[in-house]
Amino acid sequence: MQLNQRNNIIGALTAATCSLLGTPAIAQESPSTAEPWQFDTAILYYGESERVTAVEGVFSASKDFGNEHIFSGKITIDGLTGASATGAVAQPSAQTFTRPSGKGEYQIAAGETPLDDTFRDTRIQLNGQWTQPLWQDYRVSSGVHLSKEYDYLSMAVNANLARDFNQRNTTVSAGLSYAFDSIDPEGGRPVAFASMPLRSDYATDQAFDDAFDATRLSGSDDKNTLDLMLGLTQVINRRTIMQLNYGLSVVDGYMTDPFKMLSVVNPQGLTQDLLYENRPDSRTRHNVFWQTKYALDSGVADLSYRFTTDDWDIDSHTLDSRLRFNLTQDSYIQPHFRYYQQSAADFYRPYLMAAEGLPQFASADYRVGEMTAFTLGLKYGMLLDDGKELSFRIEYYQQNPKNPGFAEPGVLQDLDLYPSVKAVMAQVSYRF
Amino acid sequence: MSQTPDLPEIELSWQGDHYCGRFSAMASPCELLIDSNDRKLAEHLTTLAFYEAKRIEHKYSRYLTGNTCHRINHSAGKGAALDEETYKLLCFADSCFSLSDGLFDITSGVLRRAWKFDGSDRLPAPQQVKSLLPLIGWQKIEFDANRILMPEGFELDFGGIGKEYAVDAVAKKCAELVPHCSMLVNFGGDIQVTRARRNKQCWHIGIENPDSDGRANRLLRIAHGGLATSGDARRFLYKDGVRYSHILNPKTGYPVSHAPRSVTVASEHCVQAGILATLALLQGKNAESFLTQQGVTHWIYR
Amino acid sequence: MKLRRLLVIVLTLSLSACASVGVKPWERDLLAKDEMSLNADPLDLALDDHIYFSKEAASGGRAFAGGGCGCN
Repeated sequence: MQLNQRNNIIGALTAATCSLLGTPAIAQESPSTAEPWQFDTAILYYGESERVTAVEGVFSASKDFGNEHIFSGKITIDGLTGASATGAVAQPSAQTFTRPSGKGEYQIAAGETPLDDTFRDTRIQLNGQWTQPLWQDYRVSSGVHLSKEYDYLSMAVNANLARDFNQRNTTVSAGLSYAFDSIDPEGGRPVAFASMPLRSDYATDQAFDDAFDATRLSGSDDKNTLDLMLGLTQVINRRTIMQLNYGLSVVDGYMTDPFKMLSVVNPQGLTQDLLYENRPDSRTRHNVFWQTKYALDSGVADLSYRFTTDDWDIDSHTLDSRLRFNLTQDSYIQPHFRYYQQSAADFYRPYLMAAEGLPQFASADYRVGEMTAFTLGLKYGMLLDDGKELSFRIEYYQQNPKNPGFAEPGVLQDLDLYPSVKAVMAQVSYRF
Repeated sequence: MSQTPDLPEIELSWQGDHYCGRFSAMASPCELLIDSNDRKLAEHLTTLAFYEAKRIEHKYSRYLTGNTCHRINHSAGKGAALDEETYKLLCFADSCFSLSDGLFDITSGVLRRAWKFDGSDRLPAPQQVKSLLPLIGWQKIEFDANRILMPEGFELDFGGIGKEYAVDAVAKKCAELVPHCSMLVNFGGDIQVTRARRNKQCWHIGIENPDSDGRANRLLRIAHGGLATSGDARRFLYKDGVRYSHILNPKTGYPVSHAPRSVTVASEHCVQAGILATLALLQGKNAESFLTQQGVTHWIYR
Repeated sequence: MKLRRLLVIVLTLSLSACASVGVKPWERDLLAKDEMSLNADPLDLALDDHIYFSKEAASGGRAFAGGGCGCN
């Protein structure tokens, strides 16, 4: 065959095919394995009663460039406003706190859990990931992560290698991720266990400002996180697939929350002083994650369990189940239930006793204390033409912090030191 | 019309989000995937597919007597009447013959008398091959819309396009009945999708497709269009360290050297993909560059 | 240490059991559906992970936990 003839083959063949099949001879692109861009978007409202409200928008795009060379990118923007628990305990009388910036004060009424209502932050997050096959049966994936907010920057890179065995029924993977976080809070980071100065204790503004500045460290601090993950995915049968992951996470650096404090109380339970918290600067955590998905005749059952343990003595158990029922060919509902339980960190103290010396580390943040939490949710999805999907999700999330066994002196017995946190999430997603 | 079986031997199963109808035709497992949850419709479509496949099989099989293929092959010197469908098939074969510069030739089936690709080392005697060459040559055949006239001893073999044509014909029949429903016709790895599925999903099918390690299975995702595979890794001869593929050059009567073991091509129509795959095999060591030049998605196993 | 030994045993058991479990490529029709992917609805999972990351002491498991935010 001549070269110039070759170029005409496809055209002539198309014409011949069309007259054979009696189909109109429209010039059509030959189908390729490359698929069009797929976009996923979602907007989430998260609202805690009397506390934080957040709105988060996500736009993600992915494309298979053919032969499983896949790029995916994601932009997340969220805005957060509202109040967050400071760690200080409620008192029978009103309390006054200095704002974290040192500029101004706020009052907390008698019997109320102290909340700092100055939170207002906008965050932008970018993710990019590239996945492709590498010689036979291997797949590599690599990605970057960037998250930036006013006082916080997080950057991460990850890489993952997976190998398929047994006709792709078994996949073994190993991945590594390194993250660098930098924090530079407004007003500086508090000196560990420094006492919170109050304006009323000082004669002049200048004297107060000097005292406040003395509790602050200038500049930023950072934290390094190294994650290792080993995964095993196994197809069990035509309906069942199972995954088992082990993760090791080593964190080194600044993990103290600059906005959290501890109340120092006397034997009557009355606050004598407020100290900024101090957490260890290293943490090693192990994760085991197991997930099973089962294809029902018209739906999917998804069950996962996660166990984590770390050298802060926090052990956690998480059970998550999603059951998808296809109502019709084009719609489904998916109830969601999640149960979470964690034990307290060894340095967790709901408050400090004035008579006792300072521990090496302490935090009254309920998030490192003992708690249980559950989530109940329901999702409704509609499959539209051309692979578009519109879905709505509503979830109720409740955290129930618990006393891990601290005696409650005096007035603290009558106050709610472990208030529940109740939140509602509402989400709309659209895929096109 | 040739005989049609009385009862369709079909099997229907619900696959979670679509129906799958199965039957056996053209010496292959055949399946029809239907993007619908209407069982009656699925049964109806599978029955339709079954009868259409059997009709084409019976009409063009060279193993049957009394059918169109047999009638033409035994009309040597006298001429035979043509119906419209057969005329169109011959026109298509004619285009393929000229496009391939004579490499694709539906009269070359007579070479099978000499070549038996059973994995052994029994090559035919050169004399035997040579004696068959005068019986090959599409250019010696005269045909028009009504009649075909073949020289004495000539035979037509629709094997090279019959199955792919049947896939397209079945897809077309089904699409005419339910134009808005996506269906996938799969006759032993030769595939046609009638239209894209709802929800942009791909059809997923496992196909037997020998790769270089001799492993035979692959999961395939196909959204639209057709796909066909030519070649058969298990049909070859092996002598003195040389592997003889079953792809025969009709001009020499001998296997094409350095032919890939199998070629899979994706194209708008199954029959077109099938021809491109076969033409690629006939290019021998140039199979890759040939398909790259045509700009079609393809997979080649050597 | 005990945990790691357990893991090794589980991995070994799973790998040796692989030969007898699994499906043929043409039986992957159900597993190939989007909703059967282990990472189905990735946006939901990512949003949930972010919320729980900022509200609880544990994170990660399904994917890397690293790369955080100063969320409260």
